[in-house]
Amino acid sequence: MLLLQMRCLLLSSAFFLLLSCSSVYRKMEKTPADAACVLKFRPRFSKVLYNTQVDVVGKHLSGLLLMKAMPDSSTRLVFSNEMGFKYFDIEFNRGGGFKVYYILPQMDKKAVLTTLRKDFEILLMQHLEPGKAFVRKKDGLFYYGFPQTKGNNYYITDTACSQLVRLERASKRKVVVTAVMLHYSDGTPDTIGISHQNFNFTIGLKKLKQ
Amino acid sequence: MHRMIFLWCLTLTALCLQAQYPGYKPVADLAQFKEQFAGASRRINAIKSDFIQEKNLGMLSEKIVSKGRFWFKKDNLVRMEYNQPFQYLVIINNSNVLVKDGQKVNKISAKSNKLFQQINRMMVDCVQGTALSNPDFKVAVFESAQGWLIELVPVAKGIKDYFRNINIILARKDYSINRLEMYEQSGDNTVISFINKELNAVIADALFTIK
Repeated sequence: MLLLQMRCLLLSSAFFLLLSCSSVYRKMEKTPADAACVLKFRPRFSKVLYNTQVDVVGKHLSGLLLMKAMPDSSTRLVFSNEMGFKYFDIEFNRGGGFKVYYILPQMDKKAVLTTLRKDFEILLMQHLEPGKAFVRKKDGLFYYGFPQTKGNNYYITDTACSQLVRLERASKRKVVVTAVMLHYSDGTPDTIGISHQNFNFTIGLKKLKQ
Repeated sequence: MHRMIFLWCLTLTALCLQAQYPGYKPVADLAQFKEQFAGASRRINAIKSDFIQEKNLGMLSEKIVSKGRFWFKKDNLVRMEYNQPFQYLVIINNSNVLVKDGQKVNKISAKSNKLFQQINRMMVDCVQGTALSNPDFKVAVFESAQGWLIELVPVAKGIKDYFRNINIILARKDYSINRLEMYEQSGDNTVISFINKELNAVIADALFTIK
C-alpha cells in the first residue's frame, strides 16, 4: 500500500513538473498577421539622453544613459553616473555585432555583458527578420515572435498593431525578461522599463530634455 | 658641448610644458606658491556657488551638460545639488556620503570603499586647498596671468586606473577654485566650473546633515 502511494506521488509530481515545463507561448493560437508592422516601434534617434535607475540584487545605481546613432549606422550607449563617472560604453553595430569600448572593471563579467547586450538588443529592436517571424494571439493581444540565437523576442501589441503593450524575451518555455517602451515622442519612448523574471534586476529609463 | 645639450633639453622641456597648457608656464618658486596657497586656503572657511558640469565624450563628439548649486564648509563638508536636467544630491560629511537620486537615498561610508575614499578626499582637497599634500597624486603647478593650474597625476592604485590626470584651476586673486577638470584614461573628461562664488558665506551645518 505504501509502495503504491509512493508511485502515485512520484507520477503526480512528474505530471506537474511536465505541466510547469510546458511553454507559455505554445498554447497560444497562431494567427496570420504581418510581423513587419512592429518595426514602426523601433526607436529612431540621432541622440537621446535618459535618466537611468538600475536595481540589481539589492544594489542601486543611477545615472545618465546616452544613446547616439553614429555615422557608420552603429548605435553607441554610454552610461555614466550623474557626476560623470562612466560605467560602460558599448556599441551595437549594423551587422548585429556588439563591441565594448569601456566597462567598469567591477562590471566586466561575461554574465553582465551578455545581459546588457540582450536587454538592449530587444529595446533597440535588433536581429528582427520579419520573414522568420511568427504571430500568436492571446487575450486580445498579438505576440510577434522573432527567433533569436536562443529563444525568441516577442513584441506584444493590440490586435490593430497600433500600440506596443510590452516586450518579452523568452526561452523556449518561459518569459525571461519583460519590458515596456511607453509614450513615444520624436521617435523614442519617453519611458522604458526592463524587468528580469529569474532574478532581482530592473532598469528604468526616463527621457531627459537637454 | 654637454652644456649646450643640457640647455637644449631644458628649453624643449619648458616648451613642452607650456604647450601642454596653453597660456600657462610652470611655477618658478613652488615653495612660495605652497605657502601662499596654504595661507589663502586658511582664510577660506566656506564657499557657496553655482556650478556647470560638462561631461565630454571624446569619441562620440558629445557633451552632457548639467547644472546645480554647490556648498563647501570646513572641514570636509561638501554639498552638490544638481537641478538641471535632473535632480541629484551628494553630501560629503567627513567619511560619510549621502546620495539622493529621485526618491532613492543611499548612504555610503567612504571608509568601506577605497576608490570612493580617494574620490571623496580629492573633492574635499580641491576646494579646501590641501590637494598639494595628497599622497595619491604626483603634483605639478603652473601659472598664467589669470590663475593657477594644479595638475594632479594619480599614482595610487584604483584612482590611477580611472583618471589620467585631474586639474584644479584657481583664481589668481584669492586662490579659490574656478574649475575642476577630470581627464579619464578613456579620453573622456568631466569639467566642473564654479560660478557666482561667494567666499566665506554663512552656511548652516544642517545642509550637510546625513541622517
